[in-house]
Parts: sequence; C-alpha cells; structure tokens
Amino acid sequence: MKTCLELIILLPLLGGVANALLGGRLLPRRTSELLACCVIWGSFAATLAAAFAYSTPVTVEVASWLADFDFKAPFSLYLDPLSLSLCLMITFVCGLIHNYAVGYMKDDPGYVRFFALLNLFVAAMLMLVLAENLPLLYMGWEGVGFCSYALIGFWYRDPKNATAGRKAFIVTRIGDVGLGIAIVWLFQLCGTESIQQINTMGSLLPLGVITSLGLLMLLAAMGKSAQVPLMVWLPDAMAGPTPVSAQIHAATMVTAGVYLLMRMYPLIGASTTVTAAIAITGALTAFYGATCALAQRDLKRILAFSTISQIGYMMLGVGAGALSAATFHLLIHAFFKALLFLGAGCVITAMHHEQDIFRMGGLRRTLPGTFFPFLAGALCLAGLPLTGGFFSKDGILGAVWLKGGTLYGGLYFMGLITAFITAVYTMRMLLIVFGGEQIPLHTLSRQPGSPFVKGEVKPLPRIMEWTLIPLALLAVCGGLLNLPEYLGHGLLNSFMYLPGSHELVLPHTTELLLQLVAATVAIAGMAAAWYRFGGRRRQLRMAESQQPAQGLHAFLLEGWRMDSFYDLLFVRPFTTLATALWKRIDEGCIDNTLENIATMLANYGRWCGGLGHGRVSLSLVSMAAGAAVMIIWLAWAAV
Amino acid sequence: MNQIPLLTTLVFLPLIGALLLILLTGRVRIARIIALSIGLAETILACSAWFCQSTYSISTTAPNGFFLFEDIPWIEQLGIRYTLGMDGISLLLVILTAVVTVVSMLVSWRSINERVALHYILLLAMQSGIMGVFLSLDLFLFYLFWELMLIPMFFLIGIWGHGRNVYSAVKFFIFTMFGSLLMLLAIIGVYLIHGMQSGSYSFGLAELTGTHFSTATGLWLYAAFLLAFAIKFPLLPLHTWLPDAHTDAPTAGSVILAGLLLKTGAYGLIRFGYPLFPEAARIMTPFVIFLAVAGIIYASWIAFAQKDMKRLIAYSSIGHMGFVALGIAVWTPVALSGAVLQMVNHGLTTTALFALVGMLDERAHTRQIEDYGGLWDKVPIFSAFFVLFAMASAGLPGLNNFVGEFLILAGSFKAVPLATAFAFVGVILPLVYTVRLIQEVIFQEERRELPMPDLTSRELSVLAFLALCDIYIGLHPAPLLEILKTPVALLTGGAP
Repeated sequence: MKTCLELIILLPLLGGVANALLGGRLLPRRTSELLACCVIWGSFAATLAAAFAYSTPVTVEVASWLADFDFKAPFSLYLDPLSLSLCLMITFVCGLIHNYAVGYMKDDPGYVRFFALLNLFVAAMLMLVLAENLPLLYMGWEGVGFCSYALIGFWYRDPKNATAGRKAFIVTRIGDVGLGIAIVWLFQLCGTESIQQINTMGSLLPLGVITSLGLLMLLAAMGKSAQVPLMVWLPDAMAGPTPVSAQIHAATMVTAGVYLLMRMYPLIGASTTVTAAIAITGALTAFYGATCALAQRDLKRILAFSTISQIGYMMLGVGAGALSAATFHLLIHAFFKALLFLGAGCVITAMHHEQDIFRMGGLRRTLPGTFFPFLAGALCLAGLPLTGGFFSKDGILGAVWLKGGTLYGGLYFMGLITAFITAVYTMRMLLIVFGGEQIPLHTLSRQPGSPFVKGEVKPLPRIMEWTLIPLALLAVCGGLLNLPEYLGHGLLNSFMYLPGSHELVLPHTTELLLQLVAATVAIAGMAAAWYRFGGRRRQLRMAESQQPAQGLHAFLLEGWRMDSFYDLLFVRPFTTLATALWKRIDEGCIDNTLENIATMLANYGRWCGGLGHGRVSLSLVSMAAGAAVMIIWLAWAAV
Repeated sequence: MNQIPLLTTLVFLPLIGALLLILLTGRVRIARIIALSIGLAETILACSAWFCQSTYSISTTAPNGFFLFEDIPWIEQLGIRYTLGMDGISLLLVILTAVVTVVSMLVSWRSINERVALHYILLLAMQSGIMGVFLSLDLFLFYLFWELMLIPMFFLIGIWGHGRNVYSAVKFFIFTMFGSLLMLLAIIGVYLIHGMQSGSYSFGLAELTGTHFSTATGLWLYAAFLLAFAIKFPLLPLHTWLPDAHTDAPTAGSVILAGLLLKTGAYGLIRFGYPLFPEAARIMTPFVIFLAVAGIIYASWIAFAQKDMKRLIAYSSIGHMGFVALGIAVWTPVALSGAVLQMVNHGLTTTALFALVGMLDERAHTRQIEDYGGLWDKVPIFSAFFVLFAMASAGLPGLNNFVGEFLILAGSFKAVPLATAFAFVGVILPLVYTVRLIQEVIFQEERRELPMPDLTSRELSVLAFLALCDIYIGLHPAPLLEILKTPVALLTGGAP
C-alpha cells in the first residue's frame, strides 16, 4: 500500500522533472510525449492497485518535511474513500487529457515545457488530495496554483495570456491567505497539523472559533474554486491551451476548494453559520455562472462560466451536508466538463482557432466524431433525465430540499432556476455550434493579423476524438455509480459514508417527486432554448449577433461587470498607491527627513569646525563655560 | 582539545589572503584564482565545522550550546578577551557567509576589470569581518568586526558602483556608522554597569548576560543596540539607505549586502540584544513587531512600483527581512528557529536574484524592467532559473523561503494573532510584484534588441548550486532545524 501511494505522486513528479531537465535536447519528441502520458497512466495503475488493496482508511508516512519543536508536518499521505475516489478520477481523466494533448500540441514547439508542467500539475494535485496534514495540503494547493499560472500563460508572447495567468495566481492567492491563517490557528489550538486529529478534536473547540475557521477556509475555497466573489479569474484563464482548461480549470484544480471543505467538514460542519455561508455562496455562484454563460459568445468562456456554476452546485451540496452527493457531482462533472472542453478543443482546432460560436455552424455533419460525444456531454450538463448529470445534480437538490427551512427552501428554488438556465445555455451552445448550415470559412472576415485560412474544417488528429469516447460513456452512464435508493443501491453513497456527515435518506416517493420536478425543469429549459435557437430561428439569432450587445445582454456578457468593478475598487488604487508610497512617502518623506537631518548635522559639524579655526578667545570662553558647568554639577552632587 | 583553531582560521584566513593579494596587484588572473581558492577553502572549513558538532569534546569553559570555543586573554587591563564560539546559529550563518562570498566572486568574474586585485582584497576583508561578527562572543571583539565589515563595502560601492555611487556609498556609511557609534556607547555602558556591580570588568557576553539594569537604563542601552541592528536589518523607517546602496552597488556588492550584511543585524539582535536585555526587549517587543509587519506590507507594496530590477529586489528584501524581525521579536522556539532559517533562505534566494540581474546587466547594460521582455525565447535556461528563484522569493511551498516564513508565522500566531494575520496579507504582495516582474522580463514579446547569450558554464554552475540548495531546504529542512534546536531552546528557555 505504501509503495502504491508513493508511486501515485512520484510517477508524475518524476515524469515532469525528467521532461524539464532532459526534454528537448536529449529526448526526442515522441519519447517526451510518451513519457508524459505513461507516468500518468502508471499513476492510474498505482491508484487502481491501491483501490483493490483498500479496506480501511490508512495513513502512510513517507518522509519528514517540517519538523521544528512541536510543529510537525511530515510527508504523510492519507487514503480514505474521499481521497481514493478523487485520485481515481484525477489520474484517469488527466491520463486521457494527456493523450489528447499529444494530438492538440503536435505542432507546438513548446511541448517540453507544456508536458513538464502538465505532469507537475498532476503530482501537485494528487499531493493536495492525499495530504494527511494541512501544510502538505497547502503545498499541493500552491503547487497546482503555480502550474495553473504557468500554463494559462503558456503562450506567453501575447500579453493577454500572461496577464490572465497572473490574475489567476493573484486572485487565488488572496483566498489562500484564509487557508494560511486557518492552518497556523489550528496549530495553536490543537497543537497538531494532522487533518484527522484536528477533525476529531473539532468538537472540543468553541463554536465561535469553529465558525471563524470555517469562514477562513471558505475564503480559500472561494479563491481556488472560483466562487463569488473571487470568481473573476476563471473566465480569463481560458487563455490557456484547451487541454489545460479541461484538466485544470474544469476537472481537477477548481474543485480543490470543494475538496478542502469536504475534507475539513467534520470540523467546520459543526457550525451552522459556516454551512449556511457555504450553501449561500454555492447557490449564488451557481446562479451567477449560469446567467453569464447565457450571454457569452466565446465557446470556451461559455464552458468556463458553466464550470463556475456547476462548482456552485457542489458547494451548495457541501453546505447542505450532502458530502457524497457533492462528491458524486464532482466526479460526474469532471467527466462531462472535461469532455465538453476537449470537444470544444476539437471544434476550435477544426475551425482554425475560431472560438466565436456565431461564426460556427453545421458541425454535426462535418465533425460527427466530435459531435456525438459533445452531445452526450451537453445533455449531461443540461440534466437530461437518466444521464449522469441528472442524477448527480438531483442528489444535491434533494439534499437541500431535505434540509428544509426558509433558507434551504429558498436555495432549493434558486438551484431549480439555475438548472433551468443551465439547460437553456447548454442547448443554445449546442444549437448554434452544431446546428444550421456551415458558414463557408473563407467568407468570414478574419481578425487582422491572424492568418487567412482557405478551405473547410481542418482534419483532426485521431487521438483527439478517440479520447472523447470513454469520457462520453462515463458521463452518460455515470449515474450507475450512485443510483438513487429506489433504484437499488447507491454505490458511492455506501462507499463514501463519512464520519460526521449528517446525510439523511429521502423517502422514495419524495425523491421520485423531486426528480420529476428536476426532469420537467431540464426539459422545459431545453424546449425554451429550442424555441429561441432551434430550426429557422437560429438564422435570426445569427443575424442579431452581428450587433453589439446592449443592456442586460452586455451586463451578462461582461460577467456582471465584476472585472471593471474590481479594477476600480482594488487594482487601480493598489497600483496608484504603490507609486505614491514610493515617491511621496518613501523618497519624499522618510528619506528626505533623514537626509535633512544629515545635512543639518553636517552644517553643525562645519560650524563646530569653524570654532576650531583660530578663534582662540571663543574656544577659551566655551572651555571656561564648560568647566563651570561641570564644577557646579559636581558641587551639586557632593551636596 | 582542538589542534587547529578552526574558528580563528575561519576568521583570519580571508584576511591573510587579502594581504597576500596586495603583493599581487596587477596580476589579474592569479589574483582571481587565489581569491577563489581561498573562498573555496573557507567553504570547506565552514562545512567541516558541521561535523565538529559531535567529534569535538565540549570544553568545560564553553557556554552551553557552543560546540567550538576559543578563548584567550587579549587586553587584560580592560577585561577584553579574544573569545570566539560557534553554536548552531553561527554555524549556519558561517556556512552561508562562505557560500555567498564564493558566489559573489564568481558572478563578478568577468564584469570587474579594473583594479581586480583590490576588488578581491575588499571581498576577502569583508568576509573576515562578517565571519568575526558571526563568531565573536566578546562585545569589544564583536564591535571591531562589525566595523571591519563596513569599510570594504563602502569602497566596493564607491569604486565599482554605477549611477550615484558615491552618494550611495556615503549614505550607507553614515547610516550604519551612526547606529554603530551609539552601539559602542551602549557597549561601554553595559561594561561599566556590570563592572560596578560585580567588581570585575569584562566585555565577555557570558559574563555580561544576567547583569541587572534598572528599567530605564536597560531601555536606553537596548534602544542603542536595537537602533544599530535595525539599521542593518533594515527596519522601517531606517531602510532608505538600502535601495540606493543596492541599486548603485556592483553585483558582488549587492550579493553580499543582501545575502550577508542584512543578516548581521538580525544575528546581533538574537545573540546580544535579547540575551543582554531580556526585560527591555520584552517591553519593546510590540514596537518591533509593529515595525516588522508594517515593513513587510509597506516595502512589498513599494516594490510593485519599481522600474529598476535591483531596486525592486532591494525593496523585496526589506519585506522579507520583516518576517525575520517578526520571528525574532516574538521569541518563541518555532518562530525563532524559523527566523534563523529564513535568514539563510533569504541569503540564498536573494543572492541568486541579484546574480541573475547582474548577468542581465552584464549582457545588456540596463536594469530597467521596461527594456526587457520575451527572454524565454532567447535564453530559456536563464529564464527557468529566474522563474524558480522568483517563485522561491514569493514563498512557493516546496522551495526554501516558504519553510522559513511558514515557521515564523506558525510560531508567532500563538503570541500575536492579529499581527500574524496582517503578516499573512504580506504574503500576497510578494507574489504580486514577482509575477509582474516575471511577466515583463521573461514573458511577452521582446521590447528592445539586446545582446543576450544564454548562460556560460560558470554562471550555470553557480545558479544550479543555489537552486539545489533552495529545493533541498524547501523539501528537507529537518537537518538544519535540528542544528538550530539546541541553541534556540537555550535562548528561549524552552526544552530542546
């Protein structure tokens, strides 16, 4: 077991390091690519081996790391149902994405850097998931942040990409402050950094402290998982290559915040304030993301906002205490969102790097190999009954309903409205991209600077479309992983049973009723989208899209104008103040004062020096005066 | 006991080397080689001290925790002794000194072409001074070495600097001189008070520790010490000499200034300030913590606005040293050992950053951020190192600076939760200016045609060595922390 756990992390790490050090000159391109893929599949094999050997949660100490007096944080890994199921998903999905990336990056000269970072990312992500203590988790947490930063800005020549990477890094770091403070605070309270020990000690802490700790961790999760109000970095992060968006910004890293909250749930779940805050954040974010996705015209940005929204659902699930439902949605979402991103990558490659959906059309005929998997993923996202996405989303909504009360009742309805919007924007995307007739590519006016490419869609490397198939199967049939109680046994539910989670089981009739409602909502949403974008009306929408967006549409297109709001509120004051502090305070005030003192002293010195030059009388007088003062003082002392 | 007086050798070998080089003025190549071999010999000696921890029997006269100790009377009439001692804290800093000096020699291998021998004479003399500061246990001796390390730096900036180098050199000199003169007065004050109380006049640290001062006297004396150390640190608002000195110093000067000289202030506070004046130090603690945390945020914020890379790193140093000051001020075992480790970490990382900027300057003769851009296309290996060290400086876990900073914060939260929370905000800011620096220098398109060959094998080996140190400490700091355990426990009065 120990070897397995070590290999899970070490293989991707070594792969990344080997590629970074040897790639390019010493390794041929094929070897580099093969190495990058093999280490991930090797890691998957190790995870499978660990899964077969698994019986009870285990802790494995691999090596020492931080050890200073009573502060101890070794490299120790912890395997329980939660980390095991996440590891299986991460290694499998990342393995597929690596394969896909071989095709996607086949003409890019920077492949060594790309695969090295992609491998390192997987290692850091697995470290985050398997970490047994908080500082180690933090190492993985920051490690994935760095890889994400470097990969978003992968095509660094364009300042836009580099800026997007930087924004992602800084915004998530703001959240990380919360985690950092929580970590040192917990050390002070519990005298240990071990997550398991902290979780068992949790009940001994005062409620107010738990609430503060929970809110700090929620802040961290908001940053990493792009939740309101720290969600602004994710849409921009789409500047990275598409496999990166699929791997980091859909399937794995962005769910790290949800994972953190689930991991610490035994501690923070004790505070109802915290759970309510998590649930509200989740529901708000789900709504926010869905409404924004409704107006986007960049294919990848639609998916980015959709990711924000879907992670909102997971948070809502955590807030309702439905950990296994949240995990279920996390896994299913990883499958179908990775699928959608990879499919989008196929579309974009085939369209010669066109990302505007209103310049696409008819792709169902020209790209059937992409269309059918993409369709499966989209239906899953829209929540079509019997797909994986339907069951997983319903699990969360059911748990929220069960919680009851005004707050959770309201959140349930918010979730339903969001589900409706989700169905609408998904179908909109599907109908615009794949429906209608293809616009001849040469009639499109290209943006200045980009090469004009004649001809039809570009043929895709086979490996890209092949990787979509297993993901599509998992997305559609994923529901089998965790069937509702009335259909049999929830595999994941029983496996995932976590100590401290207050999961209740819905009565079968209520559950059926809720699913009926959810199914109606999803189908209504899809129908509404068909009514607006289907058939001949598609042409109208295409024509409308030529006009610039206005009013509500523009507001949603710009993500509720949060970017300009933050720019005004934080970014500009920060940069202006930086210069002001430097020029006005540091140089103008502090340095000037010190310099004036120095000049004054120098002048005084010159004046004193003047005393020594020949003016004997003055010297004598001052000497006498000094002596007099001393004698008087001595006399005083003697008396 | 010990046949070779290792500590004396460590202190005086560079000085002897410097004297030897005086004879060789004008013979550039030989001067370089001799200086470098002395630097390497120092490094080997310093590392061999590591293994002395267990092999040397601790003499009965040595104070607790010091595994190497040399003590002979010097000016007996005044109670001045020649006392050198090495404990875990000194050991790490001595090794750092040896390493950073070698690095400073190697990075200025080709860029210094005038008065080469003098350049190395000054570097070696400075090394002697710094070694002496880290090893003396007699206040008078300490003060001598403290002044000795000052003068070569003054000439280094004045002779080989650029820009307003004379202004900066004088500014540096006046600032530090001002502090050290007050410290001298305080040293004499301590000496007299102790002499009057006990009847035996001595400058020895061990004798002076435990001297009782009235609260007011203690405060005044401690304030004088603190001022000298705070200038070196540098703490807000006494830091303004640093950006100027760094910007105008030659690469070797910047490397030693940031890598070593800043550490002497922190070391002085640990070795002399707190042990001599425990009561006054406790009273002043909130004040120091305030200055430290304010400095972290203030300096990191200003670093963001900088246009000159060296100035940016100089301000970042002020911010990072703020963490060290915080760790020392709270004086808990975890925070204090974190602070000492952070001194080493900051020494290594900042040395590397200044070396990198020096390499750019050597090639393109500009340090302005706006002149660069798109370096990854032209010099990928250089750029990879640049990103690595910048990330280390921004506190990425897995690299060395994170370990020190995190231990400091973990150790201080117990004592001062609010200040620690503010210091955490200070963790964001380095990232902000670092990623800006990376983006504008390494990424984007090239902004000016600059001659830019990639690293030579000399530069590569220096950077690779420092990178390995950074990664090693980042992943396995346990041996270093183990060495610090005994001295830190003795200082803080906790169990080892």
